Amino acid sequence: MAYDAVSVEGIKYLLPELVLVSGILTLFIITNLGDAKIRLPLTRLRIPALLGGNRFKWNSDPRLPGVISVFTFILAIAMLIQTLGGDTCNDLVEKFCAETTILTTTGNNPVDLLKLDSFSRLFELMFFLALLLVSAASINRLQADSNPSNDDLDQLLDNRRQVDFHLLLLISGLGMTIVAMSMNLFVLFVGLELASLPIYVMVAFHKESKAGTEAGVKYFITGAISSAIGLYGMSLLYLWSGSLQLSVLEATWAAMATPETLPLFGISLLLVGFGFKISAVPFHFVAPDAYSGASSPVAALLATASKTLGFIGLMRILMIITLPETGDAAVWMLAFGILSVVTMTWGNLAALGSENPKRMLAYSSVAHAGYMMAALVAVAAWKNGSFVENNSGGVMAVELIIGAIIFHLFVLISFKIGAFMVISHLETEDEVTDMSSLHGLAKREPIIATSMFVFMLALAGVPPLAGFMSKFLMVTGIVQVASADVLTNTEIDLIPTFLGMHWTFFLAISIFINSAISLYYYLRIGVLMFFEESTTRLPLPKVSILRFVILLCALATIFLGINSDWLVESAIEAASTLFTNS
Amino acid sequence: MAGDVSVEFWVATIPFVPLLTFPIILFLGQYFNGKDWWKNILKEGGAISLMSMGVVLILTSMVVAQFIGEMHHGQGKDILDWITFDVLRSDGMTNGVNLGFGIYIDHVSLMLLFVASFLCFLINWFSIGYMNTDKINDNRNHRFYAEFLIFCSGMLGMVLADNFLWLFIFWEIMGLCSYLLIGFYYEKPSAASAAKKAFLTTRVGDVFLMIGLIIMWNIYGSLEFDVIFGWNYFTNPVDMTLLKTALILMFIGAVGKSAQFPLHVWLPDAMEGPTPVSALIHAATMVNAGLYLVARMFPIFTGTADSNLIGDLADVGIIIAMIGGITAFMAAGIAFVQNDIKKVLAYSTMSQLAYIFTGLGAALWFASKGKSELALFALGASLFHLFNHAMAKGMLFMASGSVIHEMHHAHHHISHGEHEGFDAQDMTNMGGLASKLPITSTAMAAGSMSIIGIPLIGGFWSKEGIIAKVWKAAIYDGGYLLFIPAILLLISAGMTGFYMSRMWFMTFAGKPKTKVAEHVHEETPWIKFPLVILTFMTLGGIVFASLHFVNWVSTGHALHYDLVYEMKHAFLAMDKEGVIDSTFLILTWATIGLSSLIGPIIAMSLYGGNLKDGEKAIPTVSWLVKISGMVRNRWQFNNKSLAESGLAEALRRRLYFDDLYDWFCLKIIVPIGLGAALFDKKGIDGVIKGIESGSQSTSTWIRKLTTGSARDYIMMVALGSLLLVGLIWGMV
Repeated sequence: MAYDAVSVEGIKYLLPELVLVSGILTLFIITNLGDAKIRLPLTRLRIPALLGGNRFKWNSDPRLPGVISVFTFILAIAMLIQTLGGDTCNDLVEKFCAETTILTTTGNNPVDLLKLDSFSRLFELMFFLALLLVSAASINRLQADSNPSNDDLDQLLDNRRQVDFHLLLLISGLGMTIVAMSMNLFVLFVGLELASLPIYVMVAFHKESKAGTEAGVKYFITGAISSAIGLYGMSLLYLWSGSLQLSVLEATWAAMATPETLPLFGISLLLVGFGFKISAVPFHFVAPDAYSGASSPVAALLATASKTLGFIGLMRILMIITLPETGDAAVWMLAFGILSVVTMTWGNLAALGSENPKRMLAYSSVAHAGYMMAALVAVAAWKNGSFVENNSGGVMAVELIIGAIIFHLFVLISFKIGAFMVISHLETEDEVTDMSSLHGLAKREPIIATSMFVFMLALAGVPPLAGFMSKFLMVTGIVQVASADVLTNTEIDLIPTFLGMHWTFFLAISIFINSAISLYYYLRIGVLMFFEESTTRLPLPKVSILRFVILLCALATIFLGINSDWLVESAIEAASTLFTNS
Repeated sequence: MAGDVSVEFWVATIPFVPLLTFPIILFLGQYFNGKDWWKNILKEGGAISLMSMGVVLILTSMVVAQFIGEMHHGQGKDILDWITFDVLRSDGMTNGVNLGFGIYIDHVSLMLLFVASFLCFLINWFSIGYMNTDKINDNRNHRFYAEFLIFCSGMLGMVLADNFLWLFIFWEIMGLCSYLLIGFYYEKPSAASAAKKAFLTTRVGDVFLMIGLIIMWNIYGSLEFDVIFGWNYFTNPVDMTLLKTALILMFIGAVGKSAQFPLHVWLPDAMEGPTPVSALIHAATMVNAGLYLVARMFPIFTGTADSNLIGDLADVGIIIAMIGGITAFMAAGIAFVQNDIKKVLAYSTMSQLAYIFTGLGAALWFASKGKSELALFALGASLFHLFNHAMAKGMLFMASGSVIHEMHHAHHHISHGEHEGFDAQDMTNMGGLASKLPITSTAMAAGSMSIIGIPLIGGFWSKEGIIAKVWKAAIYDGGYLLFIPAILLLISAGMTGFYMSRMWFMTFAGKPKTKVAEHVHEETPWIKFPLVILTFMTLGGIVFASLHFVNWVSTGHALHYDLVYEMKHAFLAMDKEGVIDSTFLILTWATIGLSSLIGPIIAMSLYGGNLKDGEKAIPTVSWLVKISGMVRNRWQFNNKSLAESGLAEALRRRLYFDDLYDWFCLKIIVPIGLGAALFDKKGIDGVIKGIESGSQSTSTWIRKLTTGSARDYIMMVALGSLLLVGLIWGMV
């Protein structure tokens, strides 16, 4: 169904976003309520204006903005769930799915703006969950002093700064959901910038620390340049097709007999913009600086939600616009194949020697981007005309791969955010600049250390944790795609089979090798926590909500690994909507 | 969680009850060791584990009650899901594969489930008496009970699993626990090395089993029972040679686990573990795992027989029967000369398991020839023997434990704590205990009679069935190669009669051979109850025979019909059609004569004898003692020349198998191992170290590119853009 975006029928599909907007307004108003009075002109009568003046005690509590933003996100998730279901998918117990609805511009020639389907709804859920965790963890985390100790209220940043932070989070969330829903490159770009700009600010939020400010500025400059390049690519595409609507672009691309210069340029430059978001090599350089300069919750956001933004963009462009139905290989296949291998290897090698846990996690996040890019390449290999089109198995493999990427992005929320939260917890004691902060953590905080170890194992992809499932699904998909040709045509004979594989098969091998390398630095964290001696045996300062978030993430990591059916089904459903309704 | 929460779900919880209880015991034990209440009320964890096993027993009884009457095969698939994925097969189709725990209940698993949980419960009960009263175990019994529970969960899980993969996983859990339990007294070098030996020997079999399972996967594309058992061989023909290889490899796994020739060497040494462990591993559970695996192959044989495939699997059946026959004979021979009461039982276990293997081999042979009625009877007889043997041998081990325990106490009492130079397990130190240990001696007599196959008692029914069916296959149905195991089984029946009687008479009849034996009393609490229960179970084998055990797997005849059939079979050797066959009549009476008369009488004349004057055994066994005295007085003969012959020496040296394996390990395996270690150190480690230092230096190098200056980053972005454009252009 298609509705006018600003009509009553249309707007009710945007309830989660409306909740975010009202959350933003609430945050503005509530925290600014005060005892200011206005004197009526010419009289002595003073009436309370409510806004401004000295604030009341209850709304100057520094934790209030955090609480408001947490409740906003919870409400948004509730609204999101309320929009789910419908005629074609009524069993949410089986999987997450939503009816497809398109929102258009007003007028006689409506242009598609936003699409609400299982794909975008699932991503909305991911964003809300990530932001919820981050804002919950930030309630007690934004200390004025960089070396604070406990739940003591006086140690927190004042209410104003808190408002700023959570406001930025909410605005960023709004941008993210727009990206998830966009059907138009222009809307997508607006959403992307709406999401990115607050993040730049949040990276530099600790203006008291030099590293944070520097990281923020660097991140902003590089990000701006990448965005500009992407925007330039977009304008080339517009020049070529006369529209930025995805469906129009797709049709024009498909109608193109021989590759033309303009769209190829446009697409390549667009990929630069998204390449920066997912921190693919060589656009990743600023990522470690940004991660280590930002406070840990913000770094967690960079590693999950911000990366997810980039992948949504890539999936939209690569899977919808430029993926040929049959015939030649996708134009970006080789380029992306090379980039993916370089990215995962670079990330892992660089992480190997990192002595700063946050930089290590940043590089690990680069490596993970490489894995997911490899999976994207395999999708192109399937559609590649040189393969025998195999009845229903074909769609399945592609959906499996995209589903695996979505699944991975989802579960990253549990263990990547979890890992950053542990570091955030360590930062309540002292700044974390090298691995020595982790020494002997197991003796000081057994539960936190065990959780951290679970996160590391999940990042490395050790069964039965969530990280294993996603990697397993991706590799299964890649191998299925790469070997379909050989297996359908020849008898099983190892060596010819191996040689006859499509080259994407070596992406799977590359993932294997890289997983092996990555185990080294993930397990090293375990060694440091369990076997090294720390200088102190005292437990960490008590920050209850942070502990709660860490524990929640650890449980989710284990649970999603063991009982992943629902989420895998949902991710595959989302993947299939990406393909079918485009 | 897929599927309804049904009876199958509750069945699936059975293995998880002990699995979830063991950490409780372990942690409580770690914290509260030495506390009074922990020691006296919770019995250092024994009470907790007993409760856990009690829950298991109740659940099992409910399951048995649910399924016993009906021919329904319960199955709960995918009770715990983990991964579901598709496998692209060579024909381009996909196979859905699910790696999850599900349960599969049929008569085979039901019986083993009952045997395992019932005996585990009783052995746990017994352990409280046996382990907790011995000073040497103080403050570490919680370890015993925790390992005991994991072991039980391994066994129960293995029996219930609905595919070969989970069967293998639980199989390995058991392997681990048997290692831990045999090496419970790890400070004793002999126990430590026995544990190692058991682990490594079974490992040899496990490797083959794993290869076999991989081949099975290759053939069927799945390891789930319902896929393999329900395979349509007409539409999907399989490679018979490959299948045969897989089955033989799996059988080698079973050989290792069930201690059959030539992987039997670990079992006698495993007696170093505490006696409850011997009972647990050698009677109730682990050794039956191999039998269970072989019994599980049955539908594959009937399936392939009922198809138009070229060739059949008869060879596999013959190999299994052959190994069984050889082991039965060899182990019985070695048991002749053992003086350690537990070692006699260990070899007896090997021999009896070999009977079951032979019966299973015959069953599989019949099945592969398409003779399903006979196959089912042979299978039923084998499984019934498994039941009888498990009950009897579990009891015998516990009874021997009681003897050893009381001997130990008596010695302790006399010598005031000096333990040097006295072996409480040596039967040459015993004698005349019938009057001192009334319940133990009765139990042991009943157990021995069941193992020997004294008519109308327990094992008699099943053993007759096995021997008759193997002979039937050999004589009438063209399995000429089966003559070898058939003859060996018949001879072993007589040998069983001898060595089991010898054990009993050496221990309980005659005059006490040492001072210690005169001071033995049956006084330890907790020990008697399981013995009494199991005595009734053993003697009442016929009752269970009538309860469909034999024909469980078949179409289910009326209750009395089976009973009468058993009787007819034993004494009239009548065919199902009612034709009396003189060959079988001779065979039956030959078996009875050998096992119940000749064997015991020779044993009596050598080792029997009346008790010391004035001593009196309880009526249940006094007649035995009296007969033995009479026989000895009349037919005493000297076996000195025989006992000192080369054969006896060879038997004492266990037919040199251990020496052979030791030599083989020392001369061949160890040099290979040293070479491998060298290669590992220089070759592999060198490469790995090289890779490691290489990656570290690469890491340092590439991290240098991250200069920290935004200018460089922008340049990189620009270069990257050029690269992307170039690559995409290049592709076109």
